[in-house]
Amino acid sequence: MPEGMIGQGIGASPVRVDGRAKVTGAAHYASDMAVPNPAWAFLVTSAIARGRVTAIDETEARRVPGVLDILHHGNMRGEVQEAGFFAGGGYAGSSLRPLEDDRVHHDGEIVAVVLAESYETAREAAYRLQVRYAEEQPSAGFDTEGAEARDAKDAVQGHEDAEVGDADAAFAAAPVKIEAAYETPTQHHNPIELFTTTASWENGRLTILEGSQYVHGLRNGVAKQLGLDPSLVRVESPFIGGAFGSRGSLTQRTALIAVAARRLNRPVKLVATRDQGFTIATYRAETRQRVKLAANPDGTLVAFVHEGTEVSSRPDPYKVAGTQTTARMYACPNIRTKVTILHADRNTPGFMRSPPEVPYMFGLESAMDELAHALGMDPIELRRVNDSTHESVKGLPWTSRGLMRCFDAGAEAFGWKDRTPQPRSMRDGDWLVGYGCASTIYPTHLGAATARVTLTPDGRARVQTAAHEIGTGTYTVVAQAAAEGLGLPLEKVLVEMGSSELPPSPVSGGSNVTASVCAVVMKACEEIRARIAAAAGQGPLQGRDPATLRLAEGSLRAPDGAAEPLTEAMARASNGAIEVYAENIPHGLPEGALKSLYQGKPALGAGLEGKDRVMAAFGAEFVEVRVHSRTAETRVARILGAFAAGRIVNPRTARSQLMGGLIWGIGSALHEATEMDRKRARYVNDNIAEYLIPVNADVPKLDVLVLEEEDKATPLGIKGLGELGNVGTNAAIANAVFHATGKRIRTLPIRIESLL
Amino acid sequence: MTPPPLGRRGLFGAGAAMAALPDAIAAQPAPQEHPAMTHTLRINGRAHPVALDPRVTLLDALREHLALTGAKKGCDQGQCGACTVLLDGRRVLACLTLAAAAEGHEITTIEGLAGPDGALHPMQQAFLDHDAYQCGYCTPGQIMSAIGCVQEGHAESPEDIREYMSGNLCRCAAYPNIVAAIEAAKPQMQKA
Repeated sequence: MPEGMIGQGIGASPVRVDGRAKVTGAAHYASDMAVPNPAWAFLVTSAIARGRVTAIDETEARRVPGVLDILHHGNMRGEVQEAGFFAGGGYAGSSLRPLEDDRVHHDGEIVAVVLAESYETAREAAYRLQVRYAEEQPSAGFDTEGAEARDAKDAVQGHEDAEVGDADAAFAAAPVKIEAAYETPTQHHNPIELFTTTASWENGRLTILEGSQYVHGLRNGVAKQLGLDPSLVRVESPFIGGAFGSRGSLTQRTALIAVAARRLNRPVKLVATRDQGFTIATYRAETRQRVKLAANPDGTLVAFVHEGTEVSSRPDPYKVAGTQTTARMYACPNIRTKVTILHADRNTPGFMRSPPEVPYMFGLESAMDELAHALGMDPIELRRVNDSTHESVKGLPWTSRGLMRCFDAGAEAFGWKDRTPQPRSMRDGDWLVGYGCASTIYPTHLGAATARVTLTPDGRARVQTAAHEIGTGTYTVVAQAAAEGLGLPLEKVLVEMGSSELPPSPVSGGSNVTASVCAVVMKACEEIRARIAAAAGQGPLQGRDPATLRLAEGSLRAPDGAAEPLTEAMARASNGAIEVYAENIPHGLPEGALKSLYQGKPALGAGLEGKDRVMAAFGAEFVEVRVHSRTAETRVARILGAFAAGRIVNPRTARSQLMGGLIWGIGSALHEATEMDRKRARYVNDNIAEYLIPVNADVPKLDVLVLEEEDKATPLGIKGLGELGNVGTNAAIANAVFHATGKRIRTLPIRIESLL
Repeated sequence: MTPPPLGRRGLFGAGAAMAALPDAIAAQPAPQEHPAMTHTLRINGRAHPVALDPRVTLLDALREHLALTGAKKGCDQGQCGACTVLLDGRRVLACLTLAAAAEGHEITTIEGLAGPDGALHPMQQAFLDHDAYQCGYCTPGQIMSAIGCVQEGHAESPEDIREYMSGNLCRCAAYPNIVAAIEAAKPQMQKA
């Protein structure tokens, strides 16, 4: 047995425990799970962005053989109540009630749901449904009439702009300074799994099969919408085909499909189309930023001003507000930040991988490169002279900060010393070569979590917690935590997740899950250990202090080497299984965090919100780009990220997360933008042939370095890293493009036309 | 609703796309019955008789009528590759293939790769070993496509693999690991 367990606890790199299911097709995602005799739903979404539905003519649609029903605002009977906007204490990504009335609030809003015997029939009838509109001139946001700007500090609960010293006066008086405007586009998550929902009722109980990053949030939100006790709603989401934030909050479709299933008295299945996915869930808000950055000739920062305007919907003030991160990034005595929300006729944006940091660190890390150029200073050295053990807004200490270690290790591995500082000074035939770098940071969010761990008499463990497998490897890292805590080989640990019937875990967002869930699983394992150790008095470990006994290698072991096989030791403590339910509230979170968790509220804390300290993972990213001197074709030739993210639970899955993040960064810099017809406020490239995401051929040589880091601020010292890799990458690439071409591109994505 | 692109869906009822446009009063043919037609699909070495609406794609036939949900729907319009299966050993997009058109061909899906004893195909094993997936949703399509890629002789170099695997999107972006897995599986496949 000892042999079987070597390298399977925390810090080991086992093959994923769910890997076999994923490579054989046995992993069942929501729409893979069979329900008996389902009816099919097909959505009809609005063809205008603002106005009213004046008529819905069902005649042609109803003539399609096999059509069962058509839901629209004219025949809803108040079945769906408000779930509330998540940032205002509710559950949903938008405060709109689906099919509430004849108003159209944004492009692609659900205006009808066609139900039929088959998918093909539902689709045909949906295309035959005649929807007529009275169109009003919409505002798309920037550059259009009718958008309404509000200060985030007024519009958003709890938002604070930073004000330290007198940034504007210091900027005016500074010897070296830059001032620039940056723009980041609308982006869509586009997970490859479509947005699907299957709903069925049995004796007044509702079962929802839906890919979710928060099954307890979905359960409670739908229960509120339908006026049900949450115990009557069950959500199953064992595997999720990518999420990236898009499945964190309740969307409008779920309650509608549940209502349809209740009306038809049979299960209803929805597989929304790819284009509908662009408007029935959330997206990354577009931003426009102004940065003023000033320094002394030695590079020490004297002033930093960061202002951002972000597009949101009419009813909801979704905030990006990455200024909370940028203001804390470097030492600086004078800081002013400001966020403005621009309300327009759009659907409500939401979380997308590293929501605040991706757009705002593009602004800051581009500006740092511009300042380094103005100073005639190496961009790494500029970051070094402004490195700090404390954040700059409240003066709180970082629990650990590996930024410069990452720059030094990364620069060495990348070969940064080969860079000649002058722009356009490196060339390979027709290709202009540029090196660029940028910092990355991601706050260490933590959430309250619960778990049940059961050790059965045969020496196997079962871990139950409603966490989610969105690709991050959660089944595996949770199994590793239990294997570590109970001294078992991995194959003796079974992990059950992704169901609202299990003890609640936090939303799988903000990169918190590995840290939050491993902590509570370890806590449960420790209690099991303590119970077994306390009963060891009569056996071969007689006389040892129970506190010194530990579970390892399938035994209960004393420091002097004496041991008793686990199954025998546990038989002293229990006639059957030992089952422990544990709860954990991390440092800095309120006592009410568990109550919020049980209510399905997305309550995360720590990170940059600590009262006595701040905690984040850091990294440095290096890029070589090649820009063709005649065609301006721009390619990333190689990319390297060096990261310090505390204790790494599984280096294999951690590397994959960071690698995926770096590639997301390439997409952010060079490919991804949801294009709008600004006159009509409608998306035009709502498919994944025209919404460009990186493909295999876009990914060059890629290296990930993970540095050792010990952070003692939390018991396990884990920092989340799923969103660390794709922060700053866009700036590193833009900085490399500047170095290659001498052209500073401040609007993403950088495309051929940006450089002509 | 955005009108669907021309192509496969055009087969499903001329003019249907027009109905989605506001105020489109297109002359539409009357809706008609689509009586099921019985086909025998040979999948993973077994014959499956199945009665299908003639509009059903091979992907929906597998997933919704034959309980073979390994092939995935990611776009339903031939853009993502998640539905890739082998048809007579060639990789095809099951979402762009009508089930009726697959009759008479040997269809291989992800469920048909492992041996009867559960032994994994070398490509499946290589994907495990190289962590060539994250969420796993595109993975069946990646693996089927990777087998096709090797069999076509398009896995001669990493550059070659990157190019010929670029029809299979992976939003988690496991690409470098997918390339490594294919390089590792190729000699194993040739040995087998």
